[in-house]
Amino acid sequence: MANAQANPRSAQDKPVATIRYFSKFGVDENMLKQTLAAAMAKGADRADVFIQHRVSHTMALEDGEVNRAYAWVELGAGVRVVKGDQTGYGYTEDLTVDALKNAAATAAAIADGPSRDAPTVFRADPGSHPAFPTRYTLERSWDEVKPEEKLPILVRMNERTMAADPRIKKVSTGMADEFGAVLIADSDGRLVEDIQPMTQLWLSCTAEQNGQRETNGYNVAGREDFNFYTEDRLSRVVREAVARTTILFEAIPAPAGELPVVMAAGSSGILLHEAIGHGMEADFARKNTTIYADKIGKPIAKDFVHIVDDGTIEHARGAINVDDEGNVAGKTNLVEGGVLTTFLHDEISAKHYGVKPTGSGRRESYKHAPMPRMRATYMLPGPHKKDEIIASVKKGIYCSNFSNGQVKIGAGDFTFYVKNGFLIEDGKLTKPIKDVNIIGNGPKVLEKIDMVSDDLVIDEGGWTCGKDGQSVPVSQGMPTVRVSSITVGGRKS
Amino acid sequence: MSELLDIAKGAIKLAMDKGAQEASAGTYRSREVEITWRDGKVEKVSEATTRGLSISLYVDGRYSSVSTSDLRPEALSKFVEESIAMARTLAKDPFRKLPDPKLYEGRANVDLELADAKYQEVTPEKRRELAAALEAAARSVKGKGEILSVETSVSDSRSESARATSNGFVGENAGTSFWLGAGATVKDPDGRRPEGSSFGGSRFFAEIPDAETIGRQGAQRAFDCVGAAKAPSANVPIVVENRVAGRLVRSLFGPLGARSLQQKQSFLEGQLGKPIASKLLTVTDDPLIKRGFGSRLYDSEGIAAKKMVVVEAGVLKTYYVDDYYGRKLKMAPTTGGSSNLIFALGKKSFDELVKDVKDGIYVTGFLGGNSNSTTGDYSFGIQGFRIEKGAITSPIAEMNISGNQKDLWKNLVALGNDPYPYTSTNTPTMVFDGVSVAGA
Repeated sequence: MANAQANPRSAQDKPVATIRYFSKFGVDENMLKQTLAAAMAKGADRADVFIQHRVSHTMALEDGEVNRAYAWVELGAGVRVVKGDQTGYGYTEDLTVDALKNAAATAAAIADGPSRDAPTVFRADPGSHPAFPTRYTLERSWDEVKPEEKLPILVRMNERTMAADPRIKKVSTGMADEFGAVLIADSDGRLVEDIQPMTQLWLSCTAEQNGQRETNGYNVAGREDFNFYTEDRLSRVVREAVARTTILFEAIPAPAGELPVVMAAGSSGILLHEAIGHGMEADFARKNTTIYADKIGKPIAKDFVHIVDDGTIEHARGAINVDDEGNVAGKTNLVEGGVLTTFLHDEISAKHYGVKPTGSGRRESYKHAPMPRMRATYMLPGPHKKDEIIASVKKGIYCSNFSNGQVKIGAGDFTFYVKNGFLIEDGKLTKPIKDVNIIGNGPKVLEKIDMVSDDLVIDEGGWTCGKDGQSVPVSQGMPTVRVSSITVGGRKS
Repeated sequence: MSELLDIAKGAIKLAMDKGAQEASAGTYRSREVEITWRDGKVEKVSEATTRGLSISLYVDGRYSSVSTSDLRPEALSKFVEESIAMARTLAKDPFRKLPDPKLYEGRANVDLELADAKYQEVTPEKRRELAAALEAAARSVKGKGEILSVETSVSDSRSESARATSNGFVGENAGTSFWLGAGATVKDPDGRRPEGSSFGGSRFFAEIPDAETIGRQGAQRAFDCVGAAKAPSANVPIVVENRVAGRLVRSLFGPLGARSLQQKQSFLEGQLGKPIASKLLTVTDDPLIKRGFGSRLYDSEGIAAKKMVVVEAGVLKTYYVDDYYGRKLKMAPTTGGSSNLIFALGKKSFDELVKDVKDGIYVTGFLGGNSNSTTGDYSFGIQGFRIEKGAITSPIAEMNISGNQKDLWKNLVALGNDPYPYTSTNTPTMVFDGVSVAGA
């Protein structure tokens, strides 16, 4: 094995890396070097290997019994070869040298030139703690938690929900946990491993009143361990699920047309995710296909609007220590003082723009090449008060819970679906509303955010973001915010 | 092929050896190749052969279902052992059994022609050639404004699967598909960069759609959005393009599933034999169409696939009943999920339908939104055009439709003669009266 000092690629004073987790699958340095050599054999700019082991479990209750359990094991490796803006990708479920070299040779076909050097030694980058972040260290690993421990929680959730309101007729609840490990080794000699846990608990209920039925639910998620499920949190899940369902009996359809909309603190961050987050992913900017492509450095919102995308929130669902290219995930300012500041970069876009990657290169699994993605997207607190914001609206709506959203990043049109909200009449929340889609245009809506309160909440729900067929876990947050006008897709009376 | 079946049968034996009384196993292997092409060169090539195994375990009256891509014998053995232990911790479920083997009987003895024997003959050069042709076609379209970017894609896959159960089911299946796609982003003078795309595919390479047509449509759809603006909120007829009408059909068909019924989350509960839509709606679920995207000889539980009328002249004729929820509901299983949905067509062309509508909205795309399966309430973002005096006029954006599915389908006033071919839901153009549209 070559000496670290003798190889310029081994770089600086980083400690030489050792493979910890994946050694039990027979992954060693020699395997990674041979794979990367095959990947670089046709003269690529860079290459990386991504190895993943993910074990997920779900237990669920229906009709009063915890009578179903599911498990998934994903083990595999992807090899990516990059030449300029071009990517070659291959993957395999066999962690053998031959299978990996095969995947590498497939990926290498993207380049067409003389062979380039592969690393002779790997460095641990960014090295060990404290340089390597520890944002979701668990007291207890999920593989130590027995099914017998999870089951009583679900039984209790069901009993409490049924007892909470006689109108509740059906309850379904489940708990998911995930143990994930990734290894990233690249042609630059970087080698990173990260252990990425996740858990989620959901509760959905259907209630009946005078022949009418309504369904709704609540869920909590995070890179947390079993201790996440405190008495307090479990009570909140039951309370929220029941309240969000039973209020629907009084709800009326929302009105149709352009109205002022107040977004409640918390999961309203879905507006940011759709209105600006996706449009700030730098692959779209590089391809000239986002409405924000030429707006960096330009004012796009009031000066009290600050929007960040942040991988650093401890134990958040959207937190990552390193992205899926091995870069430490930071906190990226998308909008600072109303001015568009930074795109979300992966290695390819960062190189394209001559900037540092923001640690936003993420992927669903070893079957996919990474691309710029959000982590936790939220707006910082502003100068107004929640009460003052609601009081300022003569006729509008207040949106508190959401199910899904979508955006067209070029045209900038986006939507989000409101499960619960209220009418605002003469500055007061009056009748509940339900099931209404809201549609706007990203830059136009950002301009129309004219009040931001000081009550930022990062939502604890299990949000998943889809792009190009790839799903990744994300978080979102928001203080109470007023949008002076946006199209509410309700019913025309 | 038989290698996959051997793996499935081996998994069942392993499960029974470790203590399961019954088991089913499915295994697949698929080769997937995709090339993405952008602005004159390859953007990305992804190519791999992937595989996996899933097992359902019936242990002492309890149930768990697991899947893995780690097929190393020792790892698999340990995984099955742990999964059985996991099942043993659960409550018993008297409804959870393998289907009655009678449901496996009567499998159609036909070749559905789902796999192209010439799959291997598609070369990397051919894919690049098609990708470049798609781009050239897109760039040949002239419209208001400049093309900022064109991205095209060519993909193909061949997948094989095998399934076995401990009560006698055995099935093997192979399929291929070939897809072309083209998308463009254009510059709107108002600063927006509207995008549009088109795609199409086939089971056999010889039947792949024409790259020239797909490429041109992709760019045309982007140019179509230039100058889009909100129209006023109103209750008007809407004409829904055949390509996107499946979105509405799925919102109607989701609540027909037995789980939705059993969990009291279906606004269509108790509607069997009753009208749920206008008389114009007749939908047949036909799994036995040659070369169909949704074709199959057996479903995911092994139930032999049969053609069934789901809605006839607006009347609901059947639910989608899988074995488990069927047992809970005391309903005979049909199948748990749809295959190909075939619609009774109208006589008129798209142009004639638009002419008949006079004033309304032509919907060419949905953006977000949702439909509540318990109540039928829906709200979807839309894009498309205004229809004025029987003609398609200016493009619309930032608009939405809202209402209840029960009303929507009763107000289905016309279907076109133009089923959309590139999906398993072969919807024609659909016209609905009196839909609440929100805009300015």
